[in-house]
Amino acid sequence: MSDDARTPRSYRPGSWYGVLGDPAQSAASLLLPPGERARVAALWELVDGGAGFDEVLDALLAGGLSDLEGFVLWSVADDLMQVVVRGPARVVLTTADGEDVLDGASAATWAERRVRGVRSTSVEIEDVDGPDLGVVSGLVRVGRVDEPAYAAAPDEADVAAVPEVEDESTEPADPVASEDVTGLEGSPEPLAEEPEIEEPEIEPLAPPREPRPQPTLRDGLSLAPVAPTPDPLSDPLPDPVHAQPDPDDEQTEQLAPGAWQPTGPALPGIPGQPQAPAVTSRPVARLVLSNGATVEVDRAVLVGRSPEARRFGAAEQPRLVTVPSPHQEISSTHLEVRPGSGADHGSAVVTDLGSTNGTVLVQPGLPPESLQPGIAVQLIPGAIIDLGDGVTIQVTNV
Amino acid sequence: MSQHRSAATRKVELHYGATTDVGKVRSVNEDSYLAAPPVFVVADGMGGHEGGDVASRIVVEVFAELVDTEHDARSGAAAIAELLVRAQKEINQYALEQRLGGGREGAFRWYAGTTAVVGLLVGDDDGPKWLLANLGDSRIYRLDAGTLEQVSVDHSVVQELLEAGTITEDELETHPERHVVTRALGGPDNAEADYFLLPLTAVERLMLCSDGINGMIDDRAIEQILQEVGDPRDAADQLVAAALEAGGRDNATAVVVDVVGLLTDDARGSASEGVSLEQKLGALP
Repeated sequence: MSDDARTPRSYRPGSWYGVLGDPAQSAASLLLPPGERARVAALWELVDGGAGFDEVLDALLAGGLSDLEGFVLWSVADDLMQVVVRGPARVVLTTADGEDVLDGASAATWAERRVRGVRSTSVEIEDVDGPDLGVVSGLVRVGRVDEPAYAAAPDEADVAAVPEVEDESTEPADPVASEDVTGLEGSPEPLAEEPEIEEPEIEPLAPPREPRPQPTLRDGLSLAPVAPTPDPLSDPLPDPVHAQPDPDDEQTEQLAPGAWQPTGPALPGIPGQPQAPAVTSRPVARLVLSNGATVEVDRAVLVGRSPEARRFGAAEQPRLVTVPSPHQEISSTHLEVRPGSGADHGSAVVTDLGSTNGTVLVQPGLPPESLQPGIAVQLIPGAIIDLGDGVTIQVTNV
Repeated sequence: MSQHRSAATRKVELHYGATTDVGKVRSVNEDSYLAAPPVFVVADGMGGHEGGDVASRIVVEVFAELVDTEHDARSGAAAIAELLVRAQKEINQYALEQRLGGGREGAFRWYAGTTAVVGLLVGDDDGPKWLLANLGDSRIYRLDAGTLEQVSVDHSVVQELLEAGTITEDELETHPERHVVTRALGGPDNAEADYFLLPLTAVERLMLCSDGINGMIDDRAIEQILQEVGDPRDAADQLVAAALEAGGRDNATAVVVDVVGLLTDDARGSASEGVSLEQKLGALP
């Protein structure tokens, strides 16, 4: 973190929740593991209201420390950086004196620092590849956060990938160095705009370090390009909707290409608020059925052998999608995909509606899971939903 | 009269029948119905309110606009919602005129309300469907694979208590507030209907009725009649007759609709079936 609190920061999509407060307000920022999902919305409200380090720490520990397997909390106020790390997370602070590493895993309770003159901060949760996405404040899924925004160091092996991105996009990869930097204030902007081509954008800043599980799935079911962008670890969680202080700023239409963003102006409402738009102005996902049909998820989509919709309002008309089931393995109304609400805002969620033979969900980078009836699961682009009887649904960005 | 073919839903052949009766206790039949493809409506004017018959008649008149129209699922729901709002306004307007202009004794208390259940046949990407709407405690049932199922969910105090777990299914029939509806057309009440969308193939037989039917005979009796009586006109008659026989304490109305067949150009079976039924009944126009 530099002296200029408004210098953009960046994050890489990952599995943790990033609850990022506005540094200009000296608001605290917080990272929480996936299991803490239930608390994220309330903490975001706090942080979004400008809550500082102590206030957020109090709220965080209200339920005790033992249940909290890990977190990272930090803030900078009057050049004083406070940071607490617990669990499997690492924070690297760079000051004039060099690097200071806090490793939560090696601490019994937590590791803590109060430091002045911090030039840069890196919070590392997971070893994830880019893209590095700009953000000021917001609620995002993260694997890494850098302040100021991440710039590939010259000694990194992956640096070769960076110019490639620059070639393909009109956006500079490093906004800190760009003339445009003032335009970034208060507004997240993609550090690297989505390239048009399909292949390289999956890892714009660095090639995958190891093979990922989903390419085989995609190849096996390549009914439609999974493009654009689905970084397998980027959770469909929100584009940082909150990071739009200026609605007139056209840049807001280019939020966070790594997240499952709506393609256009952000959806109304904010993450963390239980606003459940029954019908969204834009689809949050597209479903590609194994029979070739495509369905956009801008409302509840009911899929089954002979689906029925019950008790809906005139304005929230669900879509019924009939799929063949020669062996009757698929239930008449088998599952529902709908735009998510609350923490799932901006993404699609799937719910098995108590089908007889169940539903298997394969998300990129995750083992297959059987859906529990009635429990909504957030969908990542590239996910495959298997209804049985040879019927699968592939989830893609719109 | 009992056969329907139109462009969007031209593959659907419907047979239907409707019957209403004032019952054995009331002096006015406040129920109204509409059975005119692709739309079927039952409206139950509020018992005890003067003008309930006017209110239910307004609903039927307003929905007559949908006769011989074609809708898909989405435009159908919008159309129904719009007509419900219009009916609500007309009912309230009429009630206002009665209160202001009547001069009669008690005119200031004049009030009108009605329930409404609507079945509209709509086209859809993957085949025609029943778009159903419910406001109040009139009911929509279907016969699917020979089994009766109540599709609509009553907007009533007892239904809310049931869903809240306050009362059990058994207490439903005897609860003192079992006739109190929580939504209706007319008055300041919430006039938002619930909608249902069912594929035709899942509805062998559709039945719309006022609570003068289901309040007098139980679901088992309804099921038996719908299972055993082949012709929908006879089935509607028998439902009403059974309700009267059971006491007839309320106006009773039943509309029964059969999807006889999905007509295709080469569908000799359903086409001939339609003709034969008409001939058999001597009901050719």
